[in-house]
Order: sequence, then C-alpha cells, then structure tokens
Amino acid sequence: MIEIERIGKRFQETVALREVSLSVRQGSIYGLVGSNGAGKTTLLKILAGIYKADSGALTIDSQPVFENYSIKGRTVFIPDAPYHFPNFTIKDMAHFYARIYPRWNQARFEKLEEVFNIEVKRRIRTLSKGMQRQVSFWLSLTLTPDLMILDEPLDGLDPVMRKKVKNLIIQDVAERKMTVIISSHNLRDMEDICDYIGILHQGEMLIQKDLDDLKSDVHKIQIAFSSDSPPALLQDLQVLYQEKRGSVLILIVRGPFSEIMSRMQSYRPAVLDILPLTLEEIFIYEMGDRGYEIKNVLY
Amino acid sequence: MFELDLRSRAPMYEQLVEKIKEMIINNVLKPDQQLPAVRVLASELTINPNTIQKAYRELEHRGYIYSVPGKGSFVKPAVPGNNTARLRILENGLAKIISEMLYLGVPPQEIITRLKKLLSKKEGGKLDD
Repeated sequence: MIEIERIGKRFQETVALREVSLSVRQGSIYGLVGSNGAGKTTLLKILAGIYKADSGALTIDSQPVFENYSIKGRTVFIPDAPYHFPNFTIKDMAHFYARIYPRWNQARFEKLEEVFNIEVKRRIRTLSKGMQRQVSFWLSLTLTPDLMILDEPLDGLDPVMRKKVKNLIIQDVAERKMTVIISSHNLRDMEDICDYIGILHQGEMLIQKDLDDLKSDVHKIQIAFSSDSPPALLQDLQVLYQEKRGSVLILIVRGPFSEIMSRMQSYRPAVLDILPLTLEEIFIYEMGDRGYEIKNVLY
Repeated sequence: MFELDLRSRAPMYEQLVEKIKEMIINNVLKPDQQLPAVRVLASELTINPNTIQKAYRELEHRGYIYSVPGKGSFVKPAVPGNNTARLRILENGLAKIISEMLYLGVPPQEIITRLKKLLSKKEGGKLDD
C-alpha cells in the first residue's frame, strides 16, 4: 500500500532523513519508533503530503502523494499537537470535514458520539488536551480513511479512552483492511497493536521487521555455572550486551532461539533461562549497540 | 472468549496459539467446532487482526485446526504430527521441575508415584510398570 524508496529530506543545514526506505502492506498496523530527533514526524508529514521529499520516491497505492487529491481524500493525519480552528465547535469541524472528505459518514459521526460522549456544541479549544485528541479521533474515524497516519496518538488519553480508541482502530483494520502507521515512544502500547516495526535513528532506518520476527530474533539469557564460565561461551554469538551480576551472566544475544538454546545447553550450565524481550528492551539494546545509550552518571 | 496476558513478554501470537491449543487439548474446544472469526476475536481482545491471522495459520500448520475457504477455521479432530521442537522445550521444563523437587527433598520414588497418578488421571486407565 505504501512504498517509500530512499527518501531524503533536509531543512537547511539539518539532514532529517537520509535514504529512508519502507514498505507497508494494506491492513497492516505499522509502528514507527526511534530516538528523539530521528526523523519520525518528518517522515509522517511527507507521507501525509505536508512536506515534499528532496529525493527518492513515495507512493500510496502506486500513486505519488504530494498534491494528489484523490489519495489525500482517503488519508487522514493526526499530528502530535491536535489542531482545530479557533472558536470552532465539534459540530463546525464536522461540517467542514463533511464538505471536503468524500467518504464522510454522518451516521458514523452520530454513532461515535455515544463512544466519545462529548457535546457537539462544545468549542474544541475549550476542551482539555486529552479531549481534543479524542475529537481528532472522532472526526478521523468518521471520514472512513484507507490510511491513518498517527503521530503520538494515545498521548494524553486516559486508560479507558486508550482502550476504546485502540479498539475502534482495530475494528476498522479488521473490517475493511484500513492501514495504519503510528509513531510513538510508548512502546508498550505499540507492542500491543502493531504487527510491523521500523526503527529510525538519526535520519536512517535501522531495522524494519515483522514485530514477532523482531522479538524472536533477540533473546535475554541468564546463565550460571557451578564452576567457572567456559571461555568459549561467547564465541560465534552476536552479543548485543553482557553483564555479570555475581555468579550469573546476563547476555542479550541475536539469533534463532533453538540454536542458542542448544548451544547454551551444551555447556551444561547450572542455571539457564532464555527469555523473550519486550519491544522497549529490544529498542534500548539495539540503540546501545549503535552507541546511543545512557551511561549511569554518579554525582 | 478468553483473556491474554498483555504484560507477558512472549509474542502475542504465541500466547494465542498456546491458549487455543490448551483449549483443544483439554476438550474445551471440541472437534469440528468453529473458532471465532479473526475480526471478532481482534475486536474482543483489542489486538491486531494480523496477529490473530498468524496464530490461526500457525495452528493450522501444526495440525490443530483446519480452515474452510469462505467459512472460517475449525478444530481438527485428529492428533497433530511433528512437534519435536515443542517437546524439547517441555522436557527442559520438566527437568527443571524435577530438579527442584529433588532439591526440596522429595525422594525419586515419590516423584515417580506422583507422575503415575497424574498419568492415570489423564488416561483414565492403568499404566504398565
């Protein structure tokens, strides 16, 4: 559905994106994560047709995006700071969008009023940040997009609303194969709903993988021996991180589970645990491997 | 239908596969019973429909379910085939449990007696010595 090939973008001296390629299938919920300043928002804005890339190619459904009304009529972008016209009520915004978006569904708008439970006569700017975001979702879902581009979407939403919004998004994906691309730092939420992850760092795409493949490729090993560690233990292993805590060695290793398991077992350890990592942990260890880490500072 | 542990580190689709397998093994899901549609389960559990799709595919690959195009997925009546990788993990788990029991002072003969009891409960019959 989305094909991005070697996109580059700079703002005067700052290179925001450097030959970034990515690919999103229809009906996928793609999670774009990365360090601060990695270029996530820039990439999303290029995708939404707000910015124009300096180099490379970008297509949605094989069509270029910039100034393409038919594609833009099927796409919605919710920025990280929700913007609504000053003094507009929810009803006013609904009228505005209804006249622009070909797939505005008034019946859905009214049905969703029960979900969001905010009076349509309220002026949006008088609502709390969280409620403004809810309004963004309300309007976005009503225009029945084929593609939702979300920048920090769940930020500021209470746990009940988070669940409701996630559920609405998932229903649309399940029912009509809507595609979603989400950028967020909340990796726990992302882990719950994304099926594909792209990790951006300093303008470059580091890793792009199916989330389950990403998780099955990295493991945390806790291993201890009753005598000394065999010296060849770490040979031929892709170790991202290691730490000795007393007699237990903690390793973060890349590779297939079964291979690593049999390797470790062959040394006859006294204690052996091979655990999966959370997306947050994978992010931190992969970043650490690239030199982006916090070294504990002691004052 | 059931709850998944969102805090668990294991991939979601693996949890789903394990849960559905468990229900099939324990006859909670009966042979030829239809599994919920992907979109229904996705909505109920608030997880990505692609994940559910994956889980169903994995279960089919392992021989626990079969799918009928246009209708959905159903529980397979027969016992699944190749499971060496899974068996190795289970044996590793069993080894850990037994070594802890020994460490806590349970005599080996006692462990065997308990095992036999569990097996006879599951099989509903007597075991050869």
